[in-house]
Amino acid sequence: MQVTLKILRYNPEKDAQPHYERYTLDAEPTDRILDVLEKIKAHEDGTLTFRRSCAHGICGSCAMRINGRNRLACKTLLQTLDTSKEITVEPILGLPRVKDLVVDMTTFFDNYKKVMPYFVNDEPLPEDGRERLQSPEERERFDDTTKCILCGACTTACPTFWADNSYVGPSAIVNAHRFIFDSRDRAAAERLKILAGESGVFRCRTAFNCTEACPREIDITKAIAEVKRAIITGRLD
Amino acid sequence: MSFKTASEGYVKYQGLGNWAFVLHRLTGLGVILFLAIHVVDTAFVYFAPDLYKEAIALYRSPLFGLGEILLVLSIIYHGLNGLRVIYFDMVNPNMWTIEINRKSVIWTWIITLVLWLPAAVVMGSHILEHLGG
Ligand code: SF4
Ligand code: FES
Repeated sequence: MQVTLKILRYNPEKDAQPHYERYTLDAEPTDRILDVLEKIKAHEDGTLTFRRSCAHGICGSCAMRINGRNRLACKTLLQTLDTSKEITVEPILGLPRVKDLVVDMTTFFDNYKKVMPYFVNDEPLPEDGRERLQSPEERERFDDTTKCILCGACTTACPTFWADNSYVGPSAIVNAHRFIFDSRDRAAAERLKILAGESGVFRCRTAFNCTEACPREIDITKAIAEVKRAIITGRLD
Repeated sequence: MSFKTASEGYVKYQGLGNWAFVLHRLTGLGVILFLAIHVVDTAFVYFAPDLYKEAIALYRSPLFGLGEILLVLSIIYHGLNGLRVIYFDMVNPNMWTIEINRKSVIWTWIITLVLWLPAAVVMGSHILEHLGG
């Protein structure tokens, strides 16, 4: 089977503007976009630049726009796309382009750090000095948001973030949610205060692009709505 | 990042959610524009009655008639979609699944059309009568 990829290329040392280039090559329906990119890099143009590491959908390196939607290149099989037409591959939107499909994620991680995405509990350890116990129900409460791999597909699909990347973005809210609703954590109030602020959850316009984009199938908009409600009601249920 | 990035996303990003959102923005802008014009022309009544008459004559033109039909569409869609979003956001976030969201977007479009079409027919036939007479 033949496929044609139309890839947005950009080399800041040579190109004034990004431009598209087309590559037609043999591929299997079970190949992933990442495999096709690797083939192009190996056989057609070694300068093609993209980010990848695990190739198994867990490191979060390979988020890109494939046919206009954010996806992981390593989780997108050709057979799930219409290969009779060209497949468009572009970098994720809203972060500065570095080269070809690589963007500068600094702002994304700065936003992530704003929400204190780590466990906070200064109380002494339990008697036995080991675990802080939690019931299965309490663990279940935030299970969905533990699955995030920080790929950035959600945040860079968000219309609010495109317009203004001081908005913390869906990914940061997902990671805040993971600790806010953890019964062992003690910093929920602080995180809610940050998220109630100017660049927090109320910038969300419920466009739902994040949830559609998430390769881990996290119900992101729901998590955001839960944080909104926690802020409004002051309750964590 | 910028107006340019946002516009690229508005135009190029795929998906029902994005289209519903972009339409919401466009119709919102349309309604605001109408309100602004309306505030100005109503102010004419007091400040410049002659201009007011001219404005009213202008509104009778078919082009404005067409604009008004689109205005009705904008108001209906913007209102319904707004209610949809408020419901999900404030009342029932447990309904937030991709499936339910997609369905709710499509239903919003269907109800918008059902409410708008009769109005469009009535308003359109007025324009035609006006043209004929
Ligand atoms: S929530 Fe999903 S889309 Fe967003 S960064 Fe995490 S894994 Fe990626
Ligand atoms: S390469 Fe690791 S998620 Fe795609």
